[in-house]
Amino acid sequence: MTRLTTSPPSGHHPPAALHLHGLTKVYGDGPDAARAVDGIDLRVATGEIVALLGPNGAGKTTTLDLILGFTPPTAGDVRVLGLLPREAVAAGHVSAVLQTGGLLRDLTVGETVALIASTYPSPPPAAEVLGRAGLARLAGRRVGTCSGGEQQRLRFALALLADPDLLLLDEPTAGMDVEGRQRFWDTMAAEAAKGRTIVFATHYLAEAEAFAPRTVLMARGRIVADGPTDQVRRHASGRTVRVRLAPDRIGPAADRLGERADVQAIAVDGDRLRVETSDSDEVARLLLGDLGGRDLEIEMASLEAAFLRLTTPDPCEEYVP
Amino acid sequence: MNLTYYRLELRRILRDPVTLFFTAGLPAFFYVIFGASPDYGDEPVRDGNVAMWVMIAMAGYGAVTATTGLGGSAALERMQGWGRQLGLTPLPDHGFVRVKAATAVTIAAIPIALIFAIGAATGARAPWPVWLVSGAVLLVGATTFALYGLVFGLTFRSEAALGAAGGSLVVLSFLGNIFVPLTGWQLTVSRFTPLYGYVALARRALTGGATLDPDDGVLIPEPLWQPLLNVTAWTLVFALGAVVLVRRGRRRQ
Repeated sequence: MTRLTTSPPSGHHPPAALHLHGLTKVYGDGPDAARAVDGIDLRVATGEIVALLGPNGAGKTTTLDLILGFTPPTAGDVRVLGLLPREAVAAGHVSAVLQTGGLLRDLTVGETVALIASTYPSPPPAAEVLGRAGLARLAGRRVGTCSGGEQQRLRFALALLADPDLLLLDEPTAGMDVEGRQRFWDTMAAEAAKGRTIVFATHYLAEAEAFAPRTVLMARGRIVADGPTDQVRRHASGRTVRVRLAPDRIGPAADRLGERADVQAIAVDGDRLRVETSDSDEVARLLLGDLGGRDLEIEMASLEAAFLRLTTPDPCEEYVP
Repeated sequence: MNLTYYRLELRRILRDPVTLFFTAGLPAFFYVIFGASPDYGDEPVRDGNVAMWVMIAMAGYGAVTATTGLGGSAALERMQGWGRQLGLTPLPDHGFVRVKAATAVTIAAIPIALIFAIGAATGARAPWPVWLVSGAVLLVGATTFALYGLVFGLTFRSEAALGAAGGSLVVLSFLGNIFVPLTGWQLTVSRFTPLYGYVALARRALTGGATLDPDDGVLIPEPLWQPLLNVTAWTLVFALGAVVLVRRGRRRQ
């Protein structure tokens, strides 16, 4: 794991909202076994907002399932405010907005809230929760006729009924439009201000950046980096430029680009050059102009690529002159 | 039991006219056609009549249609993520089962009450204890078919499975001596099918422990252990199937 800067405070221990220790989940056995979560250690202090960032298949959802006790770990353990997952759920200490949390389409929004509220000993008033989730005007609407964003806000309202200390969100804005996304995060900011601990899984770096002071990067079931979000961003941003060049031009082009400060990595693949850069415009201009390239493509650095970069000690060692 | 959840479950069902039609309207219609209207309806069966004999069976068909549908949709709901949503709350699994069981008994009562009322108004005749006992047996016995629906839902995992489960009840009703009175070898086969024991037990208060031979209206004696064994065996089969499928579902996660 890459500690990007300061570790979480180790001198004095505030009570951990969440503590994962050697957490491992293996599906199947024998040669087909898949290590969905592969020995992760994580400590989240009360009141922290943490983004769990990673591509699909990184193990984010499995991690959240383990924290909620939906599935038992193969090894390691989970403590939520010192309690086992199912104890913490039963006590209302933890709740979640799940990606796959199904709703009953034939109930209304208000009925759904009333139903889930009835499972708690002393839930906050339904009207208040509907208001906080921005659903006050939709209470009489059938769930099946609500948009994806409205259903997601309903799931959020249901999570608020637990009045949880720790709130887990799994890809909370998937399927929302830009406006809905903004509104959802505004609501979440208000909840965070009340001192709730929030851990959310996302594959949007921008969401981590806008909302979480701390980001935990996951890839292939492991935590590959854990630190302040702006530092993670610096590693994960950038673009890849691919271009075709005449054979005799590849070497000089690579040399010339290698001198630039805004180029992080260069790789040669046959007659193609791959350049990772934080200034794709300038690099593209150069490649198509002076360097005589053609068939140029620019793509956003995928998170997967970002993770590979983070796990590779020196990206420039890829350079083959 | 969580009464709010129970109340909302009932509201969901009462809101769905299609389900209500198939569980209450259709069997009531069948009773009117096959029990109340024909001339043979007033032929005597001990202290009652044939219309009563038909009425009990049609009420049973409606009741199992209701509970099968409920069991099937409960399975689908849980698989489609509602189980995870409930898993975020302190409601334990047995709390969910209790709500669904209470709902099953309640919605089974809807077709039974409706068809018994129509029967009372259209010439079904029997001493009052027969009405009471047969109604109670229908109500309790219908709950085993919630397991039948559960097995269907867990096996086929789709809305279409619920339609198939309902359709299979039509076939089982023909086989179970419900829609058409069976005789000879067909009656022998019938005794091994799931709906036979259920309806035979409910009709027992009327027939005093016999099946009606449709050819000559004679009652053929039937020992009590036969329908009891039928109901017990099929309940065990459904329960075992449900347990195995729930475990399989859990492993797959």
